[in-house]
Amino acid sequence: MKVITVVSAKGGVGKTTLAANLASVLASRNRRVIVLDLDPQNALRLHFGIPLDSIDGISRATLSQSPWQTVMFDGIDGVTVLPYGAVVEDDRRRFETLVDGDPAWLARSLNSLALDANDIVIVDTPPGSSVYTRTALTAAHFALNVVLADAASYAAIPGMERMIDAYAAPRRDFAGQGYIVNQVDQSRQLSKDVLKVLRDMLGSKLFPGVIHQDEGIAESLACDTTLIHYDPLSQAAADLRACGDWLLAAIDAIAPSRNVA
Amino acid sequence: MRSAKIPSQETEVSVATSRLERIVDAGIWSSRIVVAALTLFAAFALYFVVTVPLAFGQQLAFATICFVCALGFRRLQGQYATLVMIMLSVTASGRYMYWRLTETTYWERPLDAAWGLLLVTAEVYATLVLMLGYFQTAWPLKRKPLPLPADRSAWPTVDVFIPTYNEPLSVVKPTIYAALALDYPTDKLAIHVLDDGRRPEFKAFCEEVGVNWTIRTHNRHAKAGNINEALKITNGEYLAIFDCDHIPTRSFLQICLGWFLRDKLLSMLQTPHHFFSPDPFERNLGTFRKVPNEGELFYGLVQDGNDLWNATFFCGSCAVLRRSMVEEIGGIAVETVTEDAHTALKLHRLGYTTAYLAIPQAAGLATESLSGHIGQRIRWARGMTQIFRIDNPLTGKGLKLGQRLCYLNGMLHFFYGVPRLVFLTAPLSYLFFGAHVIEAAASTIAIFALPHMMHASITNSRMQRSFRHSFWAEVYESVLASYITAPTLLAVINPKLGKFNVTAKGGQIAKAYFDWSISRPYLFLLLLNLLGFIAGAVHIGLNWHVRSEVQTTVLNLCWTVYNMLILGASVAAASEQRQVRSTHRVTMKMPVMLKFATGRTLACETIDYSEGGVGVKLPNGIAVPLHERVTVSLFRGDEEFAFPATVGFSEPGRVGLRFLQLTREQEYDFVKTTFARADAWTGWSEGRLADTPLRGLSHVLLVGTRGIAGLFEHLYSDLRTWTSKTPVDAKKLTTKDQ
Repeated sequence: MKVITVVSAKGGVGKTTLAANLASVLASRNRRVIVLDLDPQNALRLHFGIPLDSIDGISRATLSQSPWQTVMFDGIDGVTVLPYGAVVEDDRRRFETLVDGDPAWLARSLNSLALDANDIVIVDTPPGSSVYTRTALTAAHFALNVVLADAASYAAIPGMERMIDAYAAPRRDFAGQGYIVNQVDQSRQLSKDVLKVLRDMLGSKLFPGVIHQDEGIAESLACDTTLIHYDPLSQAAADLRACGDWLLAAIDAIAPSRNVA
Repeated sequence: MRSAKIPSQETEVSVATSRLERIVDAGIWSSRIVVAALTLFAAFALYFVVTVPLAFGQQLAFATICFVCALGFRRLQGQYATLVMIMLSVTASGRYMYWRLTETTYWERPLDAAWGLLLVTAEVYATLVLMLGYFQTAWPLKRKPLPLPADRSAWPTVDVFIPTYNEPLSVVKPTIYAALALDYPTDKLAIHVLDDGRRPEFKAFCEEVGVNWTIRTHNRHAKAGNINEALKITNGEYLAIFDCDHIPTRSFLQICLGWFLRDKLLSMLQTPHHFFSPDPFERNLGTFRKVPNEGELFYGLVQDGNDLWNATFFCGSCAVLRRSMVEEIGGIAVETVTEDAHTALKLHRLGYTTAYLAIPQAAGLATESLSGHIGQRIRWARGMTQIFRIDNPLTGKGLKLGQRLCYLNGMLHFFYGVPRLVFLTAPLSYLFFGAHVIEAAASTIAIFALPHMMHASITNSRMQRSFRHSFWAEVYESVLASYITAPTLLAVINPKLGKFNVTAKGGQIAKAYFDWSISRPYLFLLLLNLLGFIAGAVHIGLNWHVRSEVQTTVLNLCWTVYNMLILGASVAAASEQRQVRSTHRVTMKMPVMLKFATGRTLACETIDYSEGGVGVKLPNGIAVPLHERVTVSLFRGDEEFAFPATVGFSEPGRVGLRFLQLTREQEYDFVKTTFARADAWTGWSEGRLADTPLRGLSHVLLVGTRGIAGLFEHLYSDLRTWTSKTPVDAKKLTTKDQ
C-alpha cells in the first residue's frame, strides 16, 4: 500500500479535482486505487458519481466505530471512494478532536483495509494547515503539493514545506514530495514567468509538464465525473495521464513498505 | 535445407570480416616498402587483366563470371564488399576502354572519324569521372560530432554572419530568429546581418530584435566581399555563415564546434544544405521526398567521401570557419564566382584540414523555377572551371594526391555538358548518315560495353543508393547539359568569359505552364531522335536481309529510344507545376494543444507547419468549424508557446490553422519551436523506396514517357490558345480558371 497525500497551502488550486483525476488515471494503469477524502467539504466523491444526498463517510464511521469497509463506494473508472461523510458541526469537532489526539489513527485505519502492497491510496486534504493535513502527512509515503503559477502560490510554498518537514519527512518510509503546477495558461506572460521561477526553485521535484487550464475540468465536475472520462482528448486529460505516469514512477521507486502498525 | 544453410553463411562472413579487419589493421601497412611493392604488384595485375586479349567466347565467359561475382558481393554488407565491387567495375571498364581505344578507333571515312572521335572522347571523360568518383567516395568518413566541454565558460566566441543583398525581409527574418535561438552562451555569440542592400527596414528590424546590422560603403566582390568587410570589424574566434534563407537549428554551433577544439588544424567544417521545399525537378516530376534530389548525392556522399581525403569543400553556407586561418589566406576568396570552393582550396594548400558532418543542421528554400535552378548550376560550373584555370588543384603547393584528385573530380564533373550531348546524339550519326562510329560488330560491342555499364550501374547503385537513385543522374545532366556547356567551355578558354545572367527566384507559380523557351534544347534533341528513329525503322525495312545492318540498326534504335525517354523526363522537368503557396509546408509530427473560445482544449499532433500556420491531425469524430478562433500551443522541451490563429481549412481528421498577426516575440517563438528544432530535419528520407538499378531505370523511363505525353497535351492546349488569341477569349479563360 502506497499512500499519496495531496496537499496545497492555498485554497482554490484545484486540488480535489486533481486528486480525483489522478486516481482515475492510476486506476486505468491497472492499479487498485482508493481515494480518501479528509476534507469536510466532502466534495471528492462528486467526481465519482456518488449521489449528492449520500451522507456516509469515514467521519461518521469513525465516530460510530464501524469499520471503514462499510463506507467504501465503488466509483467510476474502478476507483474505490472513501468519502468524508456529512456530519453536523458538533460531530465534526468531536471527530477532529479524536483525530488530533491519535496521530496513528489514519495509518491504523488504512491498515485495517488489508490492502495489497501495490495498491494506492490517495488522500485529499483541506487547504493550508489543519488537523487533517497533519494527519494525512503523518501517514503519507508521498506528498503531492498542488500549486498555481501565480505569486500567491509561490509565496505559500515554504509554509507547506515546513509542515511536510515536521510531519512526514522524519519518517523512514516517507519517500519524498512532488509538485504539480495546475491550471496553467501559458498565453499569459505572468504564468510563463512564474513557471520558470518555480522550475528553477523546485527542480526535479516538479512534475516536468503542467496541467493546463481547461474548461472541460469544471464541466466534468458538473457532470459528476472525471475529466479523463468526460473529455479524454483534451490537453488537460493528456497532462493528467502524463502526470499519473510520473507519479506512478515516483511511488514505484519506493521500496515495498513494511507494516507500520 | 536452404534456410538452415543461411546462418552458417553469415557466421562465415562475419569471421571473414573480422579476419579481414585484422589484416587491414595490421602494422605492415605503415611500411612504405610494403605499400609500394603491393601497389606495384596491384598495378601490374590490373594492367594484365585489362589488356590481355580474349576471344569472343573467352571475353563473354570472363565478363559473366565477373558480373556474377559482383552480384554475389552485392549481397554482402560492409565497405570491403563495396571495395571489391569497385575493383570489379574498374576491371570491366578498363577492359572496355582498352578494347575501345585499341580496337575500334580505325575509321574509314572522315565523317566516321569525326563522330567516332567525339564519342570516344566523351566515353573517356565518362570513365575518368567514374573512376574519380569511385576514388572520391570509396570510403565515406561518416564523421560524428564531438561534444563541447561541459564547462560553458571554455566555449569559444562565435560570430554568425547572415549576408543578404536583395532578398525581402520576410525571407531573412526566420534565419535571424533562428540565429537568436542558437543554443549558445549569449556573451560568446554575436549575430551580424551583413546587409549589402543597406535597407532601412533591415536596420529597424535588426535593432528591434537585438542583432548587429552591418553594412559597408560599396558592394565589391558580392557575398565574399561582404563577409571580408565584416571580418574586419568583428573578432569572434569562429565564424558561422548562413545564406540569408538558410535557417539554422538551435544545436548548430554545439554540433559543429566540437571538432575545432580537437583538431587544431581544422579550418572549416561544412554541414549539408538541406531544402524543405521541392526544387523544380522534385515539383515538376512529382518526386519530392521520394527520389533523392540533385544535391543529395553531393551532400550525402561526395562531401562525406571527400572528408576521408581531407578534401571537404566549403559550400558558402551552413558552415563554421576558424577566423585566424581565414584571415591567413586573406579572407574569403574573391577571384572566382564560386568563392566557397576556392576558399577551401586555399586553406588546404596551407596544410589546414576541413571536415564534414552529414547532419542537416540548417534548412532553406530550394530554387523555385527550373530557369533559376539552371542559372545557379551554371554559376557553379563556371566558378569551378575558373578555379581550374587560375588555381589548378593538380599543380601548385600544399596538396596531397587525394586532395588533388577530389578537387579534380569536383571540377571535371561540371564538364559533363559536351559528353552528355554526344551521348544523346551519337546513335543519330549512324541512323542519319550511316556513320560507323565504333568499328566493331554489334555483338562484340555488347560483350565489352555491357559489362562496363552494368558493373558501373550496380556499383554506383550500392554506393549511392540513399543519395541518388539509379539513372537519375542522366535526367539531371540532360536537363542541364545544353546550358552548362557554353559557360564551362568559355571559362576554360578565358576565366572571365561565360558570364550568364541568373534569373531571380520566381516566387509563386500561379498557373501551371510549360516553359517553352527553357526546354527548346530538349525539344530540338527530342525531335532529332524521333527523326532518327524513323530513319532507322525505314533502314531496317530496306535492308531486312543484311543481318549485320539490322543488328547495328537495332542497337542504335534501342539507344535512341532510351535517349528519347531521358529527354522526355527533361521535358517533364520544364513543365512548371502550379505552386500557389507563398510559404512551404514542412511535414513535422509534434505535440500541439488547441484551445478554443469555450475554454476547452484538445491535445493533438501536427501534420505540418509553415511560416503562416500549422496543419493539425484531429482525433476521430472531432470537427472544428471554419473561421473559429483558436489558441495554438507548441512546445519546446518543457517550454510552451501560444499563438493566436483561426481555422482556415477543415475536413474530417485534419484542420489547417492560420496565424493571426503575430508579435515579434511570437514570430521568434514560432521559429524556435519549428524550424530551429534540433531534430527538425533528421529522418527526412524516411519512407523512401530503396534503390535498385532496375527500379531506378523503370522509374526514369516512366517519368520520360509521361513527359512526352504531357508535352503533346501542352502543345495542344497552347496551340489552341495561340490560334484563338483575342481579348474576349482571354477574359473567358480567366473566368473559367476562377
